[in-house]
Amino acid sequence: MISGEDNELVARVVASQDTRAFGELIRRHQSHVRNFLRKLSGDMSAADDLAQDCFMRAWDKLHTYSGSGSFIGWLLKIAYTTFLQSKRKSKRYAEILEQVGHVSAAESRTHTVQADETGDLDKFLAVLSEEERAIMVMSYACGLSHREISEATAMPVGSVKSVIFRGKEKIRTSFDIKDHQHG
Amino acid sequence: MTSKIINMAERIKDAEDRLLESMFESAPIADNGFSGQIVKRIRRKLWIRRITLPVAVLLGLLVAFRPMAAIVKGVYGLLLSMPGDLVPSLEGSLPSLQLIVTGALILFVAMFSLSMLED
Repeated sequence: MISGEDNELVARVVASQDTRAFGELIRRHQSHVRNFLRKLSGDMSAADDLAQDCFMRAWDKLHTYSGSGSFIGWLLKIAYTTFLQSKRKSKRYAEILEQVGHVSAAESRTHTVQADETGDLDKFLAVLSEEERAIMVMSYACGLSHREISEATAMPVGSVKSVIFRGKEKIRTSFDIKDHQHG
Repeated sequence: MTSKIINMAERIKDAEDRLLESMFESAPIADNGFSGQIVKRIRRKLWIRRITLPVAVLLGLLVAFRPMAAIVKGVYGLLLSMPGDLVPSLEGSLPSLQLIVTGALILFVAMFSLSMLED
């Protein structure tokens, strides 16, 4: 275990390509990143693959981290971009498969995920759009501030607030939250 | 000041926010070798990056050895065929062809070894 703040470890990695320091950064934040991607994708193993890609990208881009915001905020930004890019890629793949007359693999996987969505949180997340889901998870599961979410998603703070408001509204209208509140 | 007020306002959460937080809360995921796997991938990547250039140079040298030797031989022969008054006492001062090529190879290998040691 290596001690030191995140920024110190980042400086060590950037200065001397210290893989042990980067390993410590991964150990500290892997749970948040994996949880975030699991909630976004709804597929545990796919989320872990994406998390690996996310950390590999973080290694390559670490010199761009300015240290002004939190490191986890910066990581979640990469995680979100990785997720969107993989989604785009699998969508393109599905389109190609459809064109050649095959049943889309991605589509069948989505059905499996929907069938598995039995937990309360999964039901909540299912009514949200992808963007709302990401922002709500960043806010309520990862505890990022509105400013950090705005940096991670490249959206103005005002838009982040309205997405959160809209997400809460959707959850409120789709489910009787008070029932959960009182057990 | 304004940002502090905004942050404070963000921290004031109502019952619904607290409920959502508890709903979104999830158990921490154990590392179980996850970080080690990524570090291993990164080390492999670094090693490949470090080794690629010297290997490429060595391969290039192997491929270029014959043409290089032919060029050196040609220049050497040209210099020897020049009139004696243009290049006085050339024969004695020119090193042998094998010596030139071996020297160049040793120089290249030494330079790359040094750069690898620096890395």
